[in-house]
Amino acid sequence: MEAALYSRSAGEEIGIMRGTVYLRRYWQLYALLVLPLAYFVLFKYGPMWGVQIAFKDFNFFQGIAGSEWIGLDAFREVFHSHDFFKTLRNTLMLNILDLIVSFPAPLILAIMLFEVKFQWFKRLSQTILYIPHFISWVIIGGIVYQVFGTQSGMINNFIVSLGFEPIPFLTDKNHWLFTYLATGVWQSAGWGTILYLAALTGINRDLFEAAEVDGAGRFKRIWHITLPGLKTTIATLLIINLGNMIAIGFDRPFVIGNKMVMDYSDVLSTYVYRTGLESGQYTLATVVGLFQAVVGLVFVLGANFASKKLTDEGIL
Amino acid sequence: MAPKMTKAASLSLAAVLASMSLLSACSSNSNSDAGNAGSGGGSASAGTASSPAASGKQVTLKVELFDRGNSPSPYTITNSYLTKYIQDNFGTPNNIKMEFVPVPRSEEIKKLNVLMASGSDVPDIVFTYDSATFNRYAQQGGLTDLTDLLNEHGSNLKAFLGEDTLAYGNFEGKQLAIPGKRSILGKYASFIRTDWLDALGMKVPTTTQELYDTLKAFKEKDPGKTGGKVIPYGMTIEPAQYDPLIWSFIQPTTDEQRFTLTQKLGSNEYPTLLPGFKDALQFFNKLYNEGLISKDFGLDKDKKQMTQDVQNGVVGFLTEDYPNLYYAEGTYENLLKTVPTAKLDPVDVLTNSEGKHAKPEYAPNGMYIMIPKSSERAAEAVKYLDWMAQTENMLALQNGVEGENYEMKDGIPIVKTDAPQDVIDRIYNYGDIVILANGKFTGDEEKNKQAFAAGFPPAYQENLRKALDISVADTFKPVLIDRPIEAESKYGTALQDKYEEMIVKAATAKPANFESAYESALKDYMQSGGQAIQDERTKVYQETK
Repeated sequence: MEAALYSRSAGEEIGIMRGTVYLRRYWQLYALLVLPLAYFVLFKYGPMWGVQIAFKDFNFFQGIAGSEWIGLDAFREVFHSHDFFKTLRNTLMLNILDLIVSFPAPLILAIMLFEVKFQWFKRLSQTILYIPHFISWVIIGGIVYQVFGTQSGMINNFIVSLGFEPIPFLTDKNHWLFTYLATGVWQSAGWGTILYLAALTGINRDLFEAAEVDGAGRFKRIWHITLPGLKTTIATLLIINLGNMIAIGFDRPFVIGNKMVMDYSDVLSTYVYRTGLESGQYTLATVVGLFQAVVGLVFVLGANFASKKLTDEGIL
Repeated sequence: MAPKMTKAASLSLAAVLASMSLLSACSSNSNSDAGNAGSGGGSASAGTASSPAASGKQVTLKVELFDRGNSPSPYTITNSYLTKYIQDNFGTPNNIKMEFVPVPRSEEIKKLNVLMASGSDVPDIVFTYDSATFNRYAQQGGLTDLTDLLNEHGSNLKAFLGEDTLAYGNFEGKQLAIPGKRSILGKYASFIRTDWLDALGMKVPTTTQELYDTLKAFKEKDPGKTGGKVIPYGMTIEPAQYDPLIWSFIQPTTDEQRFTLTQKLGSNEYPTLLPGFKDALQFFNKLYNEGLISKDFGLDKDKKQMTQDVQNGVVGFLTEDYPNLYYAEGTYENLLKTVPTAKLDPVDVLTNSEGKHAKPEYAPNGMYIMIPKSSERAAEAVKYLDWMAQTENMLALQNGVEGENYEMKDGIPIVKTDAPQDVIDRIYNYGDIVILANGKFTGDEEKNKQAFAAGFPPAYQENLRKALDISVADTFKPVLIDRPIEAESKYGTALQDKYEEMIVKAATAKPANFESAYESALKDYMQSGGQAIQDERTKVYQETK
């Protein structure tokens, strides 16, 4: 049946026929696409209509269409607000530090796992490393308070029992940065190895054997075979990460942050939450959301461009 | 490689779009209901809602209800003894189907915002404690004017609330909310471990200075034998703990100062600019740096840690909402389980420059009960509240069944604490059902107090009465402003965070850096809206003077 279909169409007007034939022949595949497409239309493109809130004095009893246009007034208010710049700075700072600390972690971990000879040990450690990824930040927050608290935290109890001063992991802003970054690595590094490990299985084993025969040591092999093999994956992930530079997850800074470290822990997402959901100033919050989206887009395109120039690898 | 790359591309695009649409998502559908209240609701065919009972068609009245996730089985939040009681005694006779819409207590305002924006799904009766939220809804024209409805259907309601309380729901000459009423206006009391005092041979402190000496002694001599874990003064970043300390430093003020220099954020007044505020923070700083208050108080946003510390018997002194310690299975009872000899007694210690135990008290209003403009059941809603305001109905809703849940004694319902659990469970959430009242209403104020105290375990009732009397002594009365301060609606919620940040920063700074920490935190606070509030209040004061 399929073969017949193919041969019939092959002869005539391929250009016009191709579309419908493909559709008929691979309709199952297209059907599979419908759901993801619907998802994007419904949840990603549909809500973009609401972006106009940023240019309106939004009154939710009148709805979006009924609210008055105010031009760029809301943008002026946001860009004059002290908190906006503080949260913008914190967002960039936390993300850049996170990139420096958390980006290489899964890479190193993946290479280490790859080098492990015992399969059972590799499997076991992978499972253990994945677990934190499945724990909600709210729970991690609770754990962090129990472990790092100044007065009753596990670590400080130990430090005090040795006769030293407690370390304010959660209450001093600089120490807090360490806590924030460390929990980030702990939570995500294991899960992050998946993509790298998948890419690693794609490297031809013969290369390693040949290198070994030629007398290359372990580090030489990693440097000359493993890392080049991961180049595309690294570039891809880096671009995605850079694109998210201006966006920041809500739960992590919100849950791990507290009043004492607000100087660092207050970021754009918590600012949007506060002005939008808590104070009901939807216009201002939408302005910040739109700003994040535009800057994020610039970052992605910029990183992609740079990556193409430098490594010939891009994702767009 | 190609398919993988496109996938990654769509991923990053998705991330970008996701952040953009985060906010618009929840409100993009709200245009459809704009103003056209006539088409919302399920039974619109019946036409106007003038007299459903007469027309014979049953209508649905939707009422918001706080869900604290504590419904005892076999009840659920929307199907309990009280909801049935209301249906049987108010709903059915009036041909109204009561529907309760649960809203999680902790996300009340956020959820309410979403409900209000959704238009057609919003309950006919909603409420909040947050005056900024009420003002915002009123300003945006989303609320029904209840003046005429109250005259028509609300005679009991008006009698119950009185003009004073009703005034809190007045917005620019329109009755846009029905304020709940508070039976007892007291807020806070202080508590001290008198058994520790006895062990040290010390008297109960009567001034802030004496308290300081006592705290020092608690720390140095550790009378509770806690092995160095002693926390002389239990502190958190919740109003019940920082408010009493701070207000006790506020100096006597003129009416003008009181009006222009106070800032009302959310439902509480904050003395940010009043004379004495800085001294309070200075003292806070001293206590912190000398290790006299909980070290991690800035992390304790729900009193969880402090409550644990009190229960473990390591806290010597604390301030708290006056009844909180003495509930059955409450903090005090748990403390007695760990330290059977413990005595945690109410005291009035913190003193201001005049030697008075100054502290804030509640305004006479409770929640702002509102009827959204889109509601077609405004008349039924007012009738429901009017029914609730009738003495016998309120008695039944707050106390359950006479003879089973309570006994009447001298006109005061005395709760039977030894009643079977399933009988007690009937009225487990009476406080949330009876939205008109904060606390029990049985008649005059003294009776209210007695009725309230009677709900506590007998062993603690005496202490509770003492705490209650302390909570209403030497109080600052909140200022009633007959028009909304717009800057407060706008910045209030965010400023509450800033206020607490200021306390934390000033308190935890090294003593040498106190000055600069305080100055920079105050500057941040003023820039984030504090100045705008002060300016507007000054203007309003001059205009109304």
